[in-house]
Amino acid sequence: MIRLAYIAVVLQLGVAVAHGAAAERDAVPADCWAARKHGHAAEAQQCFNALTRSVDAYARAEGFWGLEDWQKANEQFRLATQPADSKPLYRVRWGTLLHERFNNKEAADLFQEALAKDPSSAQAYLGLAVLSADGFDSRANEYATKSAELDPRLADTHELLAKLALENDNRPSALDEADKAIAMENDAMGAMAVHAAIELIEDRPLDAWLAKIASINPAYGPAYADIAHYLELHYRFEDSVVWYRKATAADARLWSAHSLLGIALMREGKEDEPLRELELSYNNGYRDPATVNSLRLLDSYKNFETVTDSTTIVKLGKGEADLLRPYIHAEMLTILVTYEKKYGIRLPLPVQVEVYPNHEDFAVRTLGMPGLGALGVTFGEVVAMDSPSGRKPGDFNWGATLWHEMSHVFIITATHQRVPRWFTEGMAVHEEGERSAEWSGRVTPDVLIAIRDKKLLPILRLDRGFVFPEYPQQVLVSYFQAGTLCDFVKVKWGEAKLMQMVHSYAASKSTAEVVQGDLGVAPEEFDRQYLAWIEGKYGAEAAGFDAWRAVLKTLAAAAKATQLDEVLRQGPAVQAMYPEYVGDANAYELVADAARAKGDATVETKSLLTYEHEGGEQPEVLKRLATLQQAAGNNAEAAATLARVNYIYPVQDEALHRTLGGLLMTQKDYAGAVREYTAAIACAPLDKAGANLSLAQAYLAAGQRDKAEEYVLAALETAPGYRPAQKLLLQLQRALPTPN
Amino acid sequence: MRLPALVLFASALCARASTYYVTVAGLGGEPDYEQRFAAAARDLDKVFKAGGVGAHVVTLSGPQATAARLKQAMAEIAKTAVPTDDLVLTLIGHGSFDGAEYRFNMVGPDLTAAELAGLCDRISARRQLVVDTTSASGGAVAAFQRPGRAVISATKSGTEKNATVFARYWVEALQDSAADTDKSDSVSAMEAYTYASKKTAAFYDSQKRIATEHAVFSDAGRGEPVRDAGNGQGALMATFTVLRLGNQQTANDPARRDLLAKKEALEQKIDVLKYGKAAMDPAVYKRQLTSTLVELATVQEEMDK
Repeated sequence: MIRLAYIAVVLQLGVAVAHGAAAERDAVPADCWAARKHGHAAEAQQCFNALTRSVDAYARAEGFWGLEDWQKANEQFRLATQPADSKPLYRVRWGTLLHERFNNKEAADLFQEALAKDPSSAQAYLGLAVLSADGFDSRANEYATKSAELDPRLADTHELLAKLALENDNRPSALDEADKAIAMENDAMGAMAVHAAIELIEDRPLDAWLAKIASINPAYGPAYADIAHYLELHYRFEDSVVWYRKATAADARLWSAHSLLGIALMREGKEDEPLRELELSYNNGYRDPATVNSLRLLDSYKNFETVTDSTTIVKLGKGEADLLRPYIHAEMLTILVTYEKKYGIRLPLPVQVEVYPNHEDFAVRTLGMPGLGALGVTFGEVVAMDSPSGRKPGDFNWGATLWHEMSHVFIITATHQRVPRWFTEGMAVHEEGERSAEWSGRVTPDVLIAIRDKKLLPILRLDRGFVFPEYPQQVLVSYFQAGTLCDFVKVKWGEAKLMQMVHSYAASKSTAEVVQGDLGVAPEEFDRQYLAWIEGKYGAEAAGFDAWRAVLKTLAAAAKATQLDEVLRQGPAVQAMYPEYVGDANAYELVADAARAKGDATVETKSLLTYEHEGGEQPEVLKRLATLQQAAGNNAEAAATLARVNYIYPVQDEALHRTLGGLLMTQKDYAGAVREYTAAIACAPLDKAGANLSLAQAYLAAGQRDKAEEYVLAALETAPGYRPAQKLLLQLQRALPTPN
Repeated sequence: MRLPALVLFASALCARASTYYVTVAGLGGEPDYEQRFAAAARDLDKVFKAGGVGAHVVTLSGPQATAARLKQAMAEIAKTAVPTDDLVLTLIGHGSFDGAEYRFNMVGPDLTAAELAGLCDRISARRQLVVDTTSASGGAVAAFQRPGRAVISATKSGTEKNATVFARYWVEALQDSAADTDKSDSVSAMEAYTYASKKTAAFYDSQKRIATEHAVFSDAGRGEPVRDAGNGQGALMATFTVLRLGNQQTANDPARRDLLAKKEALEQKIDVLKYGKAAMDPAVYKRQLTSTLVELATVQEEMDK
């Protein structure tokens, strides 16, 4: 993250120190900052010291700030801004200080106050742009553009515009803005860092740019930290560590870089070195939320268990490790086999999957990263994700998330980290759908509205929908679009073309080159064909969205009024208008409820079955369907339904595992029954004896008498008088034949 | 709940004692709550009535749930109950606590905790269980406390005032054989309490809601109510059978007395083994436990013939 500490900010201050020694009489804040920027540490120190002795409160504020005496600087800014006629710039600078000291809220207030005093303050808009850029807020561009309009000669604004453009992977614009900044100020090292990063991203030598930076200040760490940041945003996680190391090597007191290095190392799954770096940063006063929260997260690792084998490292909360590990580990092995075959590569290192029971811990892993990061995030070979226990039942499918994130691991590896965001996200969404059609259902109302309102982006600009969304739902819409772009390629050109695109990105080709070269069409033509395909699939639904919403509302009202026949009559038509809708108050549940009230289990089952196949994921609804299926004697279907729930909310639900175990026993799937009864025990059931007996019976059925005896003894240890367990124990002791 | 052998034996001898079940579904205030409270009372009525000849069941809900009707029902029980009988009073609905006094919301005038306790005091059953599942029920515990009476409240204090879900899981505990964790074919107050309080906590956890109720109990006749057994709390609850699930073996059959004595001895031996488990070599423990359990199972097999 670029902070303003080293941004020179062309202050045009002209605020001389009115009294004091001759040297001090000439001290001007801009000169002091320039001296620091150019690496003249002693001169800068002397200059800032001189400022602190000024009679002018504002100058003293800048002086204390330069000496890193934040408290005194803050006090002096307060004094400087008290007079009614104080300059708006003072508030901008004070806001900048507060931003540097992690207080963005008050910083924003000060920038707004400056604008109230001077609506044409380019610096105030620049300050707001910097704050917005920190949170990947689309207003960053808006503010920066306004700043540039108000003062086209403000080099810092163009540096920021270059940064924003590169974060959006708009490289031409980034270069253009960087050049403008350099033309205005020949020491615009942030702009030079943008140039250097692009050379690196595009696999060209960057020595010339590094030499330019070094010629100004060989110890200018922020330039290296900026490069590292841009590399992170281009999935070059290992490389980013290298550049953060260069930043701290160049300037050992650049605490922000120490913190970022620590966080980058955490993303590689390391713990000891990140702890050292983060503590170093923290102990030297750099205590931004990312540093503090990352240290807290490292501290919480004592509450995790890690199990390692040759290809996987699984890190789980101790309280749920016994329950989740078998499911997650088995799924990881399936994914590895599937993707290795598909992508034709073996991962060089074991994949580490971290599963966080506390969503806030997971959120720390996504700090400083753009996009939602809401479910999972991948850093090279490290995947961090929520545990199902960290979310409300039905909010989250850990299986789909794992397939999604593991796809990133393979795509990023296969492309040697040279992949645009849209493609890796698109492939990840595509792979979810390949694993299960029910997992591909992302046609949310927001997506339909975006289709209807023609808001899907051209393929060459799709990355921007992820990083700086222009409307609140654009990230989700972009996931949908990226996924369906890959679906479209498979449908029209075949799966092999997707693999060819992977290879092309690995060869550092641009999206325009990949589309033209691999698919044989111009990007614009590709967009046209894709949109026609989308129109064919969802056009009618999108066009009828408002009508659907109206009839669903009517249906819900009829359900509320217990007009059961009306619900059963209208329901199927409402479902047909938008079959993929499985959210709140969906027509499937309304019809099922009405059917239940009428005692019609057939219609109830049919409606819930369609809900399931359309991707409905509310565990209670699926369990209701399983009960109906079981009652109808369809044990295999009931087991399949409950197996789906295992991917959604396998935690805190001993009954789920017990019921599924029983169903699998009836299907003679004894290994599955053993897995489920083991999970039931891991749920710390109230009925420990019953759970142990069930597991013993499953083991016996599976032919594992020793394990059967182990668990029947466990049942009887809890409840010595438990007769079914006593009978099984005697059966085992007498070596009776296994009942089938 | 596993009982000490002597208590189990004594309990078996008293198998003919009656249990009086009084369940009241108080004023709901809204149709949703009215239905929910009445349904819970109806379910309890059903499970208690299925308890057999020793079960005397009184259930008041809807317009019947008045203070007068409850007083009348309790007075009737007071006339017939004897010290060896048990009393189970279950309160479902809304409660309130003004900092000094708890009130159970009923149709018409409410009853305070002290008034409810007074009604229970007039019944000579030595072993009593009060299950107050209402909001603010923690404010009622002190008034109910008395030696021989276990009190369970859905909330830890009178200040937890939101509507509760504890009643739902208390009812479920008496319907789900999984609540019988020691497989004794009966559900003790402690087993049902553990079941309901865990399920209540899981409910809030799964909904990602801050828990607004924390069930507690007190069965020592005094002191602060607790969440878990220990420090003198829990002994009465562990031996208080709320519901029998199947046919109980009695010691009144002379032909089985020897086998029963042998069974008791083996159960005691298992208790001793489990108590000393931590200090034993695991292999020795397993060997001894297995042989004792096999012996116990064989005795039970003989008894079942």
